[in-house]
Amino acid sequence: MLRRDEWIDLARKLDWEYSYVDEREVFPELTSGRPWLPHAAWAGWDEPYKTSFTEYVVNQSAKDADVYAARDAVGRVEDFQKLDPAWLGSLKLHGATLPLAEFAAVVGNLRAARFGRDSAWRTMATFAALDEFRHTQIPLLIMHELIRFDPQFDWTHRFLHSNDWVAIAGRHLVDELLLAANPIEIAIATNFVFETGFTNLQFIGLSAMAHSAGDQVFERMVQSIQTDEARHSQIGLPVLRTVIEHDRDYAQYLIDKWFWRSWLFFAVVTGFSMDYLTPLAHRTQSFKEFMDEWILDQFQRALDDVGLARPWYWPQFLDALENYHHMVYASAYTYRATVWFDFALPGPAERAWLRDKYPRTWPLLDPIWERISARWRDAGPQVEWYTHGVTPVTFCHLCQLVLCGGTPAHNSARWLEHEGESYVFCSEPCEWIFRSEPERYQRHKDVVKRILTGEAPANLVELVRGYFGLSQDCWGRDVRRGDYPWLHAARPDAEGGR
Amino acid sequence: MLIPLYGFLRGDTIGLVVLVHDRQTMAEVAACLQEAASVRVAPAPSARVYVRGRPLEPSVTVAEAGLRPLDRVDVVQEAA
Repeated sequence: MLRRDEWIDLARKLDWEYSYVDEREVFPELTSGRPWLPHAAWAGWDEPYKTSFTEYVVNQSAKDADVYAARDAVGRVEDFQKLDPAWLGSLKLHGATLPLAEFAAVVGNLRAARFGRDSAWRTMATFAALDEFRHTQIPLLIMHELIRFDPQFDWTHRFLHSNDWVAIAGRHLVDELLLAANPIEIAIATNFVFETGFTNLQFIGLSAMAHSAGDQVFERMVQSIQTDEARHSQIGLPVLRTVIEHDRDYAQYLIDKWFWRSWLFFAVVTGFSMDYLTPLAHRTQSFKEFMDEWILDQFQRALDDVGLARPWYWPQFLDALENYHHMVYASAYTYRATVWFDFALPGPAERAWLRDKYPRTWPLLDPIWERISARWRDAGPQVEWYTHGVTPVTFCHLCQLVLCGGTPAHNSARWLEHEGESYVFCSEPCEWIFRSEPERYQRHKDVVKRILTGEAPANLVELVRGYFGLSQDCWGRDVRRGDYPWLHAARPDAEGGR
Repeated sequence: MLIPLYGFLRGDTIGLVVLVHDRQTMAEVAACLQEAASVRVAPAPSARVYVRGRPLEPSVTVAEAGLRPLDRVDVVQEAA
């Protein structure tokens, strides 16, 4: 009987020369990607960690059993009801952004499983597609149980089917990243940048936070997903190396473009969770510290290893690391009814922690929270509308996220006239991405343009209900409805208050 | 004629779409944006509108300033 190392290459490497058709017809550049190279250029494609179909099935079955065991043991509604309401907001945010984005990844990986240029790559992409099915199904399964205790969990499934502004931004990202991209761009954008650069390590941080917050089901779910990501993210590097060898500029362009696009979405989802929605007692590090320790070092080393430069906008990115998610969170807090999860109001202890973690930038952000707190104090608990905006907000034409770039002292929004149309961007990198491929982006309408062309209503309540699809029982509120002890203590008419 | 403008109030975290009439003055535009952002930034009695980095007189109208739909205006509060 053959040993594993004697047959594994036969199982993963099964390429042959075509005699009835041309190689370009089997792998057209349109669907396989550029640079188009003969198979000889890809024949050395190799993944460091190799698995067979049998091993895959055995491992995945065990991982599924582990997640289901955690769900059966501690995944009852009563278990979730014990969790901090702010943490539940984080759970709803992640719950919604995971499953259907992962399903888009199924499609992207299946395209690579057919049009990837080497059979080992196609085999890995097949495993990756199966992985992404799991990542679609597990959150849907776990969160579905929770809908009867909180209808906001219904947005785990509804989110990407809606026209909510976050969903529009999410679809704009994953459609391009996974549904519209060819296997080369998917490998570099998704496997190398998004997974190796961000989510693979993010899931380690997230599972640690979930553990600290007492959410064992989410912890197991994220750990289970992370082990899949660690395996299939290795598709990216061998593809990137080959592209660098034949078209270095294109490789650098893809890195620069996708690092920025990934960063913006990552900052919102993970930045919110780490710096605002995880209860203070359970925070182990700030979002910036996490990025410094887990993402930046690792990503820069990965670029050094392949001889690529850091993205050209690196100084702007480092500035954004200390500002962007704070700008978006404060803005979104005051437009919380436009999303499907609840927000925590940072109190004096949280603000002191943020000041300590962000000494350079927090002084400009703290007055915003002082103002919001003062309005809660004036209005009293339950009066959500007094700390909620009513004027339509602005959106970036590229990332489709709100115009929250820069600092409170200077918003980094930029304007561009292109073929008689005016376009607005949150940042220079978003404008640069648009300028690089305007035909790819120019026809997409952001929420403001949808309002101005009559596709969406301008009235905020109508917009939220009729267009975003949020009903009163689902739209976001303050997690404590403004009923914080520290707010009462500071109320002038409160007993013992000042 | 009503004109939607992208307004950025210094000290705020997000840009807002304010709908103004072309007969309205810059003082009124500043007041309109301050009111729209008041949930996050306390309005000041006086504020100056900047377009493409240049301050405009409070009495100048939207039409006189040549502002077109979706142009950017920046509003900076002035000390009392």
